[in-house]
Amino acid sequence: MLRVKAGDLDRMGLLFERHHRSLYGFLFHMTYQREASEDMVQNVFYKMLKYRHTFTGQGEFVAWMFQIARNTLKDQAKKNKNKVQQLPAEEMEDRLPGGMSADEHLEKKQDKASLYKAMASLSEDHREILTLNRLQELKYGEIGQILGISEVAAKTRAFRAMQELKNIYSKMER
Amino acid sequence: MMCEKYEDKLIGLLNNELTPAEQAELEKHLTECQGCSEELAGLRDVWEMMAEMETPEPSAHMRVKFQAMLDTYKESVEDTKPGVWTSIRERLGKIWQLQTRWPLAYSLVIVLVGFGLGYWLFSSGKGGEQEQQLKALSSQVHELKQTMMLALLENPSASERIRGVSYTSEIKHADKEVIDALLATLNNDPNVNVRLSTLDALSHLANHPEVREGLIRSIEKQDSPIMQLAIADVMLKLQEKRSVKSFEDMLKQKDLNPGVRDKIKQTITQLI
Ligand SMILES: [Zn+2]
Repeated sequence: MLRVKAGDLDRMGLLFERHHRSLYGFLFHMTYQREASEDMVQNVFYKMLKYRHTFTGQGEFVAWMFQIARNTLKDQAKKNKNKVQQLPAEEMEDRLPGGMSADEHLEKKQDKASLYKAMASLSEDHREILTLNRLQELKYGEIGQILGISEVAAKTRAFRAMQELKNIYSKMER
Repeated sequence: MMCEKYEDKLIGLLNNELTPAEQAELEKHLTECQGCSEELAGLRDVWEMMAEMETPEPSAHMRVKFQAMLDTYKESVEDTKPGVWTSIRERLGKIWQLQTRWPLAYSLVIVLVGFGLGYWLFSSGKGGEQEQQLKALSSQVHELKQTMMLALLENPSASERIRGVSYTSEIKHADKEVIDALLATLNNDPNVNVRLSTLDALSHLANHPEVREGLIRSIEKQDSPIMQLAIADVMLKLQEKRSVKSFEDMLKQKDLNPGVRDKIKQTITQLI
């Protein structure tokens, strides 16, 4: 990113190749809307180009990228405040990736669906931290940077989120 | 019940972030404390399941759109004269970005490229002519862009109409047709978000006298409080004193929103 900042804009292509999937994954799990997530990925890369001078190189590029992604999500939420954002859990299923092979047990498939539903019913803060933690596989230090909180606070929030997820999930399985 | 002071350690263990010493200490505690070891077992099950969570694949044209955006951006930053080929490529790049979900654009682009390049190749060889043909091609591209924008404004989906409005910023010289279309959208579009975006787009075109006049005439047509506030802001920004009359008329409406009424009074004072 520092080379992009220095004016080598083509380097942004490399960063796109490396990071657009995980960025898309984060945005998707925060919105469950494919098209809107793709538009937002585009938007985040545009903002990174436009505001490249604000990248200091002190923190991680990934943290900076997710910070911009969070702002983009907030802007999007403001724009859509008239629309209902949260989908009922049943409709969610249609939007989630299939990709289970036929020989996988039905039971496992249902477990998985319940987990997605449980995830979708978490509060936004909790879903956000678990998405960063578990789907993006980030460390708590990085997560703290992204969310603007301390590493300890990130751990505490992640722990609470895991507990909430576990409780919702076990209620569904019963 | 688990011990509160081990919360950070349990989550740290799951995420593989403990130092060997912390890990040893935690393991020792887990052998002694049933609450903590039960909690860990429960969390670990869910934690492991989450590893299998999937995300759908982004669509393939995302990369194309990104490249087009990057090219457009580069073009806007670098003020260097591009060579003939890059110039065509970048102009086309802009159209790729425009087409997004509008299949008709694909065929238009293909026809245009075929026509443009064919024309160019068949009559190549005379230096000055190429330049001229390129100019013709680029004006066709510009026209096409404008056509697409106008068509988007007619789209039944509000987000597509907003998209259309946003392309205004890419059209270098907004002509009468574009301005009329935007003003009509500002006055008649049923969706307030579309009207807001249009107002924003028009406020950037305020160096055209027709736009200014259109905006002033539009004041009396806006009945939603958001639009009334937004247009008052635009008039303030433009320091458009001719709008005072329309705002005074607005104040005569009995059912005017009280917040809007305050804002309009304030606007009038600031304009006079
Ligand atoms: Zn304990």
